[in-house]
Amino acid sequence: MANYSTSQFKNGLKLMLDGNPCSIISNEIRKPGKGQASNKVKLRDLITGKTLEKTFKSGESVEGADVMELDMQYLYNDGNEWNFMDPESFEQYAIDDNAMEGVRGYLVEQDMCVVTLWNDNPISVTPPNHVMLEVVDTDPGLKGDSAGTGGKPATMNTGVVVQVPLFISIGEKVKVDTRTNEYAGRT
Amino acid sequence: MNMQDELRRYSHFLAQIRQFFSRQDVVEVQTPQLLDTPATDVYIDSIAMQVNKAFEKKSKYLHTSPELEMKKLLANGSGDIYQICQVFRDNEQGAQNFNEFTMLEYYRLGFDIHQLMDDVVQLLTTLGVQGRVSKLSYAQAFFEYGDIDILNTDFDALKIIAKKQGLSTEFEWIEDLQILLFTHLIEPKLENLPLCFIYDYPAMQSALAKVEDRVSQRFELYMNGVEVANGYDELRHASEYRQIFEQETAKRATLKKHTSSLNKDYLTAIQSSLPECAGVAIGINRLLSQID
Repeated sequence: MANYSTSQFKNGLKLMLDGNPCSIISNEIRKPGKGQASNKVKLRDLITGKTLEKTFKSGESVEGADVMELDMQYLYNDGNEWNFMDPESFEQYAIDDNAMEGVRGYLVEQDMCVVTLWNDNPISVTPPNHVMLEVVDTDPGLKGDSAGTGGKPATMNTGVVVQVPLFISIGEKVKVDTRTNEYAGRT
Repeated sequence: MNMQDELRRYSHFLAQIRQFFSRQDVVEVQTPQLLDTPATDVYIDSIAMQVNKAFEKKSKYLHTSPELEMKKLLANGSGDIYQICQVFRDNEQGAQNFNEFTMLEYYRLGFDIHQLMDDVVQLLTTLGVQGRVSKLSYAQAFFEYGDIDILNTDFDALKIIAKKQGLSTEFEWIEDLQILLFTHLIEPKLENLPLCFIYDYPAMQSALAKVEDRVSQRFELYMNGVEVANGYDELRHASEYRQIFEQETAKRATLKKHTSSLNKDYLTAIQSSLPECAGVAIGINRLLSQID
């Protein structure tokens, strides 16, 4: 994989740091009057999801990470692995359950997701911003509260619990924002 | 603020500076900005240009600071002088760095750095700067904000500290690592201080300042964590300047940066040596950005 010099740093660039692929979140350059310029870089570790901060001297180079983001269709979960398909090559990828932290509750069969591959191995999945989930359990709503001013927890068919308006009942499909875990309407 | 108000404010600001110096009998000077020799500072690059293309091929360099030209005047009996001018630097990066900016540079005969720091405070007060003034030696700043004994920590030990902080350790010289640690560990802690002087820099960072008892007689002024001024108790003798120029040029060569032949004109011009004096450069744009 190619090396990148600090002058090529930009948000979203993928680098290898401490053995893990990382993505640049921000890059701030500082140059003291008499001293050398340096780049203070915030990165997200694509394996652990943690944010880290590194400082490079300007001109230093860092190994790039062979990371690709591909649109893939979610097919099914066989109990251990989550199976996806690249709709262009029809190639299937089985993703280990460990890589699914935080997204299991938003995967709906047939939905298109973004799968991040590192050295051709899937390391993480980003579901669509909005998914349609079915309510499988919630308290009965108060009659007449159609304005939906209040809220109540509802368990979805995928297991995730979302705060929904009082008028939502079991069996209904609701739209959920996967970035915030918030109710986003009924259509 | 509309354009007219903004221009008036800036014009008034410059007039106040001139008044301050006039009251103290410091003389305003203008020195050449287009020079035959580029700066030798390791991390300051001159902007080069070709002149007289019609009849000769000659490189000239925009000055990166009026320092050496003003020191020629000092060595030849100018007395206290100041200058407000545009300066030009190549390869500047960062939100606060520009290829062209305005610099106020002044020299006071017989001052040491502490007298000069006091004088800078008076100037800033005249310009409407308010707030508590802090003074910390470079070593104190590192003790207090970084728990590091900077003057007694060697290169290898500093690298270990830097590594733990996620900072680069790929340096040729210890002073570059000291500067990186200062920029990333100490500077952010200075953001709550309206006016903070850092003085007594490690000898390796002396630039053109005198070195006494392992520390260089040099200071920087930070306003809310932003580097605004840089002052020295100035070296006096041509031999000392020659040594610095040669050291810096060798470092630039190591880093594969542009170098030039020795600035003999300067060394000849200050043959009789500079008077005892201290000088400071203040970034006018940065200073203005820190006032109200």
